[in-house]
Amino acid sequence: MITLDRQHSWFEQQLAAGRAQSLPQAPQWLQLAREDAIEAATQLPLHNRQHEAWRYTSIEGLLRASFTGDEQAHQQNQATIDDLLPPESDSHRVVLVNGQFNARLSTLADLPPGVRLESLRTALAADPDLLASWFGSIANHSESIFSALNTALINDGLFIHIDQDIELQQPIEVVYLNSGLNLSEDKQLMMHPRNLVVLQPGAKATLVERFVGAAPSRYFHNNLTEISLQQNAALKHYRIQDESRNAWHLSSISIEQQSHSDYRGVTLAFGGAWARTEYHLDFNNEHASCALHGLYLVGDKQLTDFHLTVKHRAADCRSREQFKGILYGGGRAVFDGHILVDKDAQRSDAQLSNHNLMLTRDAEVDTKPTLEIYADDVKCSHGTTIGQLDPQQLFYMRSRGIDETTARSMLCQGFAQEIIDQIDLQPLREQATERLVASLERVQPEIGR
Amino acid sequence: MNQMKPNTMLSINNLTVEVEGKTILHGLDLEIGKGEVHAIMGPNGSGKSTLSHTLSGRDGYQVTAGEALLDGEDLLSLETEERAHRGVFLAMQYPVELPGVNNMTFMRESLNAVRRARGEEELDAVSFIKLVRAKAAEVKLDPKLLKRDVNSGFSGGEKKRNEILQMALLEPRLAILDETDSGLDIDALRIVADGINALRSPDRSIILITHYQRLLDYIEPDFVHVLSEGRIVRSGDKQLALKLEEQGYGWITEEEEAA
Repeated sequence: MITLDRQHSWFEQQLAAGRAQSLPQAPQWLQLAREDAIEAATQLPLHNRQHEAWRYTSIEGLLRASFTGDEQAHQQNQATIDDLLPPESDSHRVVLVNGQFNARLSTLADLPPGVRLESLRTALAADPDLLASWFGSIANHSESIFSALNTALINDGLFIHIDQDIELQQPIEVVYLNSGLNLSEDKQLMMHPRNLVVLQPGAKATLVERFVGAAPSRYFHNNLTEISLQQNAALKHYRIQDESRNAWHLSSISIEQQSHSDYRGVTLAFGGAWARTEYHLDFNNEHASCALHGLYLVGDKQLTDFHLTVKHRAADCRSREQFKGILYGGGRAVFDGHILVDKDAQRSDAQLSNHNLMLTRDAEVDTKPTLEIYADDVKCSHGTTIGQLDPQQLFYMRSRGIDETTARSMLCQGFAQEIIDQIDLQPLREQATERLVASLERVQPEIGR
Repeated sequence: MNQMKPNTMLSINNLTVEVEGKTILHGLDLEIGKGEVHAIMGPNGSGKSTLSHTLSGRDGYQVTAGEALLDGEDLLSLETEERAHRGVFLAMQYPVELPGVNNMTFMRESLNAVRRARGEEELDAVSFIKLVRAKAAEVKLDPKLLKRDVNSGFSGGEKKRNEILQMALLEPRLAILDETDSGLDIDALRIVADGINALRSPDRSIILITHYQRLLDYIEPDFVHVLSEGRIVRSGDKQLALKLEEQGYGWITEEEEAA
């Protein structure tokens, strides 16, 4: 059992542990934001079963661990980095090693005019006023003790700003290399990358985020991303979370959309012992659209949580969220999808679905899609299913000579592929498919009959 | 008792099968020679589908007595996929849809699994595509269906043609066609029957399970058997099927009772 005192003292401890490393010489508005976040954290209710946003996701394990932001530990040995770094791709690549921008591994040359892509530190030094006008304006960055901690301990991250009507051809690829190696059991590394993405009117871009972790290491990766899509802007946003199976991972993504803007997201979750991803998406002006497709593969000793809040605050917007999960072993998943349609958001068109494939009896999913509608002329639906592999399908495949393990794997892939197929970068789609298939082939024999 | 013929492919002796505790097949005997086409007819509930499912190894069909030997090997102790590797093919009455599983990928996986088991080289993607396109043309299956998910959204006739295509690819030794004619209009029936006839060969035996004589107008069987209450009660040539068409099954059961 955790108590409010315990929650407060944990926050204070991590704050103290991380503070020495947080960004020096921050501008005054940032100092104020930090202080506000710290103040807000002390007022937050306990994140336990009584708190709807944390109802099925226990933070007890996280609160038992203590972390350090030690700068020394951010140094990675080259072997680990080479091992973890995804294959080179035709992209503008930014690498953050344990939450800190790594210039040597990043390829920021050849950026077209009108595109800013740089570390948060660089941007703060170069153009603090530009950042000030966006920072904290999209996310409620002290909604939980974790977002408050991210804000209070701002250290580094990413700033993307694309000028009006610029279409960035090559994708931006952000790689988060995480590792807690060389640290003792009782002191693990924490990192709080903070990202700000602004697409000015008519701007278009593709953003890929990949989270990779050294296999056995334990760490807490806690990122917060704010995205603003101005009028007619369009962003494709692909995320592949493949953290260490011992890691805690929290992503909080806040997106605000202006009129006729379009957001297309695909989010895949494979790793982490405890991994939560929150999407907060607001339609602030008319005729905006979003489509978010998610896939989670969850096994023994894993908890994967997706929290979505889509707010239709203006008329004529369209939202689609489709999430699928495959669970095995003692895997646990949480899906909490909420669509809110304001009184004035007439002709809103919203669909939300969550389908789960349970490969074992011990797996567990808590799924809760909800609609909250105040307008009277809307088209909204939600649906959820929890099922097993169909014995008739398995028999059919086996009667064609396909062994049971392969048949199961093919059916799982068939279930999941439609999500991955939403990625329109071919190499990434293929890598994601390979990642899925490798996991499925590894887990099928464990599951047996 | 059946006489063991020298060219026997499948020998079923005293096969007794329970489904959910109820005995459906009561000591069925059947001998199928190489290259022969046997039609098995019978009223609803006589055990036709139980026979096909038992031979292909579906869960839930409990063999309580008897045996089925394929080329002398105990078929019933093999896993479903192993039976496929030995050359048993079941064309299903209701082919199953596999959403998300591409038809071409499925067939390649299937053919290569069977080829591996036979000790043959696997086919690479290019050779497979050539092969499957040619075979699809033979059974008049729209090549677009190869790119779709297995049977998903296929019409009844397309599903049956997709079954015959798989049969053509796998080149089974023993093909069991379970009510392949059901739900087909006359044109689709002719195409499917042509596909089956094209696969007749001295090394391949075929069991046609059907309600109606109609299919036998297109595929001429060597033998016709009547299944009733889980046993073969009458065997003959195609004349038997014609008589059944005219007179129904009643006269056989009456003769059975009189005997």
